[in-house]
Amino acid sequence: MRLIVNGALYDLSAPGHETLLATIRDRLHLTGTKLVCGRGECGACTVLLDGRSAYSCLTLTAACDGVSITTIEGVGNAGLHPVQAAFIEHDATQCGFCTPGQILAAISLLRECGNPDEDDVRRGMSGNLCRCGTYPKIVRAVLASVDQGPSHG
Amino acid sequence: MAKRFVTTKVEIEGREETKVVELPSRNPAPWGEDAALHIVGRRITRMDALEKVTGDARYTADIQLPGMLHAAILRAPIACGRVTQLDMSAALELDGVRGAVSIADVPDVTLDGVRLFDRTIHYAGQPLAAICADSLEIAERALDAVNWECAHDPHVVTADQALAEDAPNVRSTGNMARNTPRIINRGDVEAGLRDAEVTITRTYRTPTALHTALEPHGAAAEWSGGVLTVWESTQGIFNTRADVAKTFALPLSSVRVIKNYMGGGFGAKNGASHATYIAVALTKKLGRPVRCILDRDGEQTDSGNRPATTQHVTLGAKRDGSLTAMKVESTTSLGMGGWLAGPGKIYHELYRCPNVHTVETFAYMNTGAMASFRAPGHVEGAFGLECAMDALARELGLDPLELRRRNYADRDQDKGRVYSNKRLDACYRQGAHRFGWGRARTQEQAQSGRMRRGVGMASLIWGAGGGPPAYATVRINRDGTIEVLSGAQDLGTGARTVLAQIAAEVLGAKIGDVRTVLGDTERLPFASNSWGSITTASVGPAVRVAAEEARDSLFEAAAGMFGAAPSDLESKDSEIHARGHDRCILIREVCEKLGDVMIIGQGSRGPNPDKTAIAAFGAQFAEVEVDTETGRVRVLRIVAAHDSGRIINPTLAESQLEGGIIQGLGYALFEERVLDVRLGLPLNPTMHDYKIPTMVDIPAIDAFFVESADPVANHIGAKGLAEPPIIGTAPAIANAVAHALGVEVVEIPLTPWRVLKALAGRAI
Repeated sequence: MRLIVNGALYDLSAPGHETLLATIRDRLHLTGTKLVCGRGECGACTVLLDGRSAYSCLTLTAACDGVSITTIEGVGNAGLHPVQAAFIEHDATQCGFCTPGQILAAISLLRECGNPDEDDVRRGMSGNLCRCGTYPKIVRAVLASVDQGPSHG
Repeated sequence: MAKRFVTTKVEIEGREETKVVELPSRNPAPWGEDAALHIVGRRITRMDALEKVTGDARYTADIQLPGMLHAAILRAPIACGRVTQLDMSAALELDGVRGAVSIADVPDVTLDGVRLFDRTIHYAGQPLAAICADSLEIAERALDAVNWECAHDPHVVTADQALAEDAPNVRSTGNMARNTPRIINRGDVEAGLRDAEVTITRTYRTPTALHTALEPHGAAAEWSGGVLTVWESTQGIFNTRADVAKTFALPLSSVRVIKNYMGGGFGAKNGASHATYIAVALTKKLGRPVRCILDRDGEQTDSGNRPATTQHVTLGAKRDGSLTAMKVESTTSLGMGGWLAGPGKIYHELYRCPNVHTVETFAYMNTGAMASFRAPGHVEGAFGLECAMDALARELGLDPLELRRRNYADRDQDKGRVYSNKRLDACYRQGAHRFGWGRARTQEQAQSGRMRRGVGMASLIWGAGGGPPAYATVRINRDGTIEVLSGAQDLGTGARTVLAQIAAEVLGAKIGDVRTVLGDTERLPFASNSWGSITTASVGPAVRVAAEEARDSLFEAAAGMFGAAPSDLESKDSEIHARGHDRCILIREVCEKLGDVMIIGQGSRGPNPDKTAIAAFGAQFAEVEVDTETGRVRVLRIVAAHDSGRIINPTLAESQLEGGIIQGLGYALFEERVLDVRLGLPLNPTMHDYKIPTMVDIPAIDAFFVESADPVANHIGAKGLAEPPIIGTAPAIANAVAHALGVEVVEIPLTPWRVLKALAGRAI
């Protein structure tokens, strides 16, 4: 099958039950995407499939033939994506383990929602858990990247 | 000649230890309130933020080594019994399976009273064996091919069951730790109760809470060149090294422990864990690198917890509110082990009261052992104490804040020592002002409708002075870049940034020229575990001393270039100036001239002042809305005012406050490990069923510091701040709920069921 990850084409054959998370981390060695719960409860494994956020731990690789997959390593072309820059500026990361998933969820939300308000951000990102409690700063960072105009990953 | 090695007492998480300390080479003048500081105190961007937002930060779970194998753990499916058969031969024949370990393959290592891979089952989730394969998936599938059987024995999974007369023994020594309650007494509590004009008695209950760090416990281990290297998700690299070296009978110099990034610890990752021993045993047996990372169920059942408590509390006071007595009988549900972090200590510390008597019972039971969890003991105790204070205030007809002010402790109540600095009064004043406490308390509450609002508050204390031993090295390279080296850990707290700020301050360097290197036992000088909110106050002074040594060498080298005395030099923004000279020389230029001469400064942490108590304080205020039909509690806003001495980096410190408050909110409203008492099994070891707060649960939070340098505590004037914010949140919320409803809910989490039950108990 053909897997397109961060714009690069991979020819590989994955067994039918292999999750996209396992493919990304263990075959492609892109370890920015994290395994936390393994069953769609926390959002740490969030990636973009054709620009929309998805839990890679619940996505089968076999179902991604020809789909454009973006992981945290593929975010931002030359330099940082505005969401990444806003996360740095607003200290929206503590231990950092949920951060890649949060950033991809935020990029997807901005793409779908265009101009989200605080309530949109809270609801739209409620599937991404953070145990350090960085939420207030994440909300601030996402709203700040809205203010910077449209941002597409 | 002054003595170089002295013995001193250090308090960590409420435990006092005696330590030998090497006195630092110098004792810099403390940075007092009016010290002119340029980089310390500034909102410098978190130094590892870039790695974290790009996915570059490599955690233990991300370590990939050539030929690395993956381990999965077989766990006991029952709470108590014996393994009668364990045959792994079929599993070992599967394609890709490389080996296994069970009790015969590991040294005798006992954690919390349970030997690793013990054939006697002490709790559900106990490791029985581990299998190693080319991939984690194969290893996990191989677990299903293990042929095992076990026999049940009667279990006890609640403290009541454990302490019943006819209870089966959980431990051979009995079901009560120490075989007797821990009694701590001050004054004469019965006399104090006789003197009281008002008394209240309540029973409070707190749940077993799970750390739920996103990165589970785990390790990757490799033998190479006679050295065992262990990558570990840990708060203590040197503790982990000591544990591994001792267990496998290796010299300390042959074990290297590395922790670069970690995905949360919150107190549960203080040394080698099951995963560590399994990874090391397998790498030893198979000669290949092995990674062992707990899965989520394993993390939620077998990596520690904040133990449940029951607290029977009696408070006595005069009509004017002054406390005459506090009497507490508590039971803590330890599980198979852990240490005795009881709820009683905060009753002895927080308020002025001559007569305090706490009787703490700690019960062993057939569940996973407790582990330190952000302010262990104080979080549980603060819920009881601070709710009881509100009950007393209602009985007296006093404003809850006023009651706390009337019982303000000017000295450490426990040992009668003076405080290095205490600004709880300012926390009360500024917190109440920013919250609008007076107005919110007295404004007409909508007490008849479905939705009711209320406000509550709580105060807090936490011994967060830090202390020795801790070492740091500061090196200046020939291009003028500076490295701060210390064997401490950054858990996501911001230690890397804060320590760099201290070095940059002393050296007059641009912050961008400084890099902090932490988390490697082979390359770095000793620092203790990053626990007990101690890292800044422990390691910070050592960094300052090291940076001063380095600065003196730098100035000595630069002085000749100016034709001035070293004492005439000063530096700022990585430029050195000499008084009376126009020109400036860059630090880089001095270092380039020196060539391969490397400027190195060494620093250590001296003892804390004698006869002085050091503590962090705070006051938190909450407003809630309660739906009386559904029982749902929504927290609308929280104001938190904290005294943690000098704040090195307000942005990072505020992030810590917000994080602690949010964990406290989860503890107040959602978080509870639920067990099936009949089967002895945990029912919610997943992140779906064990509810931690999500983004929609978060109220408006105004968390700030009543900043005030504490130059008596140590020469950088800082105290700890990571644990204090979780202490006050749950009682502030519960008190707000009581204010809203006119009825107390004495058990957390404040689930809809408990709220409705409390409402039903009162005719409404």
